[in-house]
Amino acid sequence: MSVMNKLTTTCWTNFYGDRRNKQMLFVLRCLHKSATSGTFGVAREEPLPERLITSTDATKKRLPKTLAEMPGPGTISNLFEFFWRDGFSRIHEIQIEHSKMYGKIFKSRFGPQLVVSVADRDLVAEVLRAEGVAPQRANMESWHEYRDMRRRSTGLISAEGEDWLRMRSVLRQLIMRPRDVAVFSDDVSEVVDDLIKRIVCLRSQSSDGTTICNINDLFFKYAMEGIAAILYECRLGCLSQKIPQETEDYIDALHLMFSSFKTTMYAGAIPKWLRPVFPKPWEEFCDSWDGLFRFSCVHVDKRLKQIESQLQRGEKVTGGLLTYMLVAKEMSVEEIYANVTEMLLAGVDTTSFTLSWASYLLARHPDVQQQIHAEVMRVLGSEKVATAEDVQHLPFIRGLVKETLRLFPVLPGNGRITQDDMVLGGYFIPKGTQLALCHYSTSLDDENFPSSLEFRPDRWIRKHSSDRLDNFGSIPFGYGIRSCIGKRIAELEMHLALIRIIQKFHVCVSPLTTDVKAKTHGLLCPGAPINLQFIDREI
Amino acid sequence: MALVAALRRLSHASLGFYSWRAAAATPTFGAWITGQRSFTVGSQPLRSDKVTVHFINRDGDKITVKGSPGESLLDVVINEDLDIDGFGACEGTLACSTCHLIFEDDVFKKLGRITDEEMDMLDLAYGLTDTSRLGCQVCLSKSLDGLVAKVPESVADARQSQDG
Ligand code: HEM
Ligand code: FES
Repeated sequence: MSVMNKLTTTCWTNFYGDRRNKQMLFVLRCLHKSATSGTFGVAREEPLPERLITSTDATKKRLPKTLAEMPGPGTISNLFEFFWRDGFSRIHEIQIEHSKMYGKIFKSRFGPQLVVSVADRDLVAEVLRAEGVAPQRANMESWHEYRDMRRRSTGLISAEGEDWLRMRSVLRQLIMRPRDVAVFSDDVSEVVDDLIKRIVCLRSQSSDGTTICNINDLFFKYAMEGIAAILYECRLGCLSQKIPQETEDYIDALHLMFSSFKTTMYAGAIPKWLRPVFPKPWEEFCDSWDGLFRFSCVHVDKRLKQIESQLQRGEKVTGGLLTYMLVAKEMSVEEIYANVTEMLLAGVDTTSFTLSWASYLLARHPDVQQQIHAEVMRVLGSEKVATAEDVQHLPFIRGLVKETLRLFPVLPGNGRITQDDMVLGGYFIPKGTQLALCHYSTSLDDENFPSSLEFRPDRWIRKHSSDRLDNFGSIPFGYGIRSCIGKRIAELEMHLALIRIIQKFHVCVSPLTTDVKAKTHGLLCPGAPINLQFIDREI
Repeated sequence: MALVAALRRLSHASLGFYSWRAAAATPTFGAWITGQRSFTVGSQPLRSDKVTVHFINRDGDKITVKGSPGESLLDVVINEDLDIDGFGACEGTLACSTCHLIFEDDVFKKLGRITDEEMDMLDLAYGLTDTSRLGCQVCLSKSLDGLVAKVPESVADARQSQDG
């Protein structure tokens, strides 16, 4: 109960006041009602507890099967697949292969870790709908270890239980509602201005005057600049025509950090006792985090200093997200550092890969590009700068982003640790089991999406408002209370950038680029550089 | 750390923008930013103009409560402390669809515009019907007085009735 009291006090002291307080208690009530707290062990393949066998099950002789009976690849062949055949980079393809071989629900072993994969739309829905009040994604021990070592707080990605719920309750009131995020429209639009200028500049340096090689480099900078404009309330200059050398070095260092970070994510998977033998992954893991935190702290502190001096001069403090968080004090400054850091980590590559894929798909499908261009012309013309408001009138643009994320879900799979015993797909799954939700398989399943390999943004367009699209097969941002908190920010950044690109340019595949396949490197990313031509639209 | 302490010492009262939250029915961060940029403040809802709402809970019980115009049906559930299991898990931020409610045809038509984002979340709701909406997106107005909102059966209910 002490936690509950502490939380109630926090609520009283913050200025959300009475309503918010009620809401928090409402949520807390649920938390205490459900059996979500507790420790999660590694699931064992135990016999079935009596209490889960209902009387009808017994009479119909439809006993849920045990994990021991669940099909799946053998431990040895799995190890061979992943370590010998570099399965990690093909994890998305293996997902599909395995679901074809073993069915919609199957088990695999990674050393001591048993993972139950769920590759069926309806079963995924079942798991996510049954979630408690503070769902857990995966074991975050290595993240926690680093935070403890450096005395840093956890953020949304790494926090669990009541800590997570408290921070999530604060942050979702700030950046999850579409209408709250719409206020960043002008800020994002300014970043898009710079993106367009940069495209014009870069292509002019190419031999044919139209080509930009490795477009993801550019979108990385755009996503970085965009998220910084929102999270730090400042511009980094990643897209400046003439980037000062030190900024350039800085971006390169950051780039490297993001990419090495993905590799070192596996550091967490190496058992602690092996660290003296293989110290490097853990060291790199810590170095990466140090760098990420340093970057965020610099920017948060800068704003904090500005606010302080404004207050001392008796000026009214105004600003955006960061100002609000610093002034409202619903989270401690350490928690703000941690959350801003984790949001930066989660928000840059995801957005840039999706933009890269979207432009690649547009270039590969000129007919679709033409259709979308026609819609944009009809609604905005070639000059009007789109705002968040305009997006509702551009269903094809929304369809483009959805279809891109269906074909290339940046997170090809997601995890959940079950917080209660459950029966899923006829199997008994004990509490504490690591589930892998196979989004890549479900979004490329012909049953869920006819001709699933075809790029067809129009499959997302509703004929009328009561037209329903059963889309649990493709939930690239997840679903429910632990889903992506940056979804609306990411959508805004992607929609506004794509609209402007389509207004200004005809995007074509450069002869240098052939078929680009996806590979998994932490996230699903382009397996080869995407080189595109940007040709001015005739006005 | 000194910086943090200094900031903490300054009382909230010296900050000029606190008032909007008390004023608006469903205060949002967006309103705060727009408010400070354009200096508009939400209007105080008229507390006397209450709207009657009937909820039909999963067990068939009818619960009658009153809400203010401008409030969402989720606000009403929270303010009246109604015990609807799992309702409004994401606190009205369009991430969960647990605030799914079913309306009568004629009421449904009066509920106001449905945004794309709501439609997308609604598609993921359990037991979807043609007259479904998300309770956190439906705002009360005087013309909705006496509306009936049915709470659909939950996944757990469905499983139980299948079993027994
Ligand atoms: C195309 C862009 C993006 C995609 C596809 C994406 C996808 C996802 C997915 C699938 C999850 C896991 C959800 C779950 O477990 O149910 C997630 C979590 C998260 N994302 Fe994103 N994301 C994107 C952009 C962003 C951005 C821009 C931000 C930063 C504001 C962000 C911040 C986060 C955070 C903080 C979490 C953890 C949430 C929590 O555990 O409470 N993401 N994202
Ligand atoms: S409360 Fe989650 S969508 Fe309405």
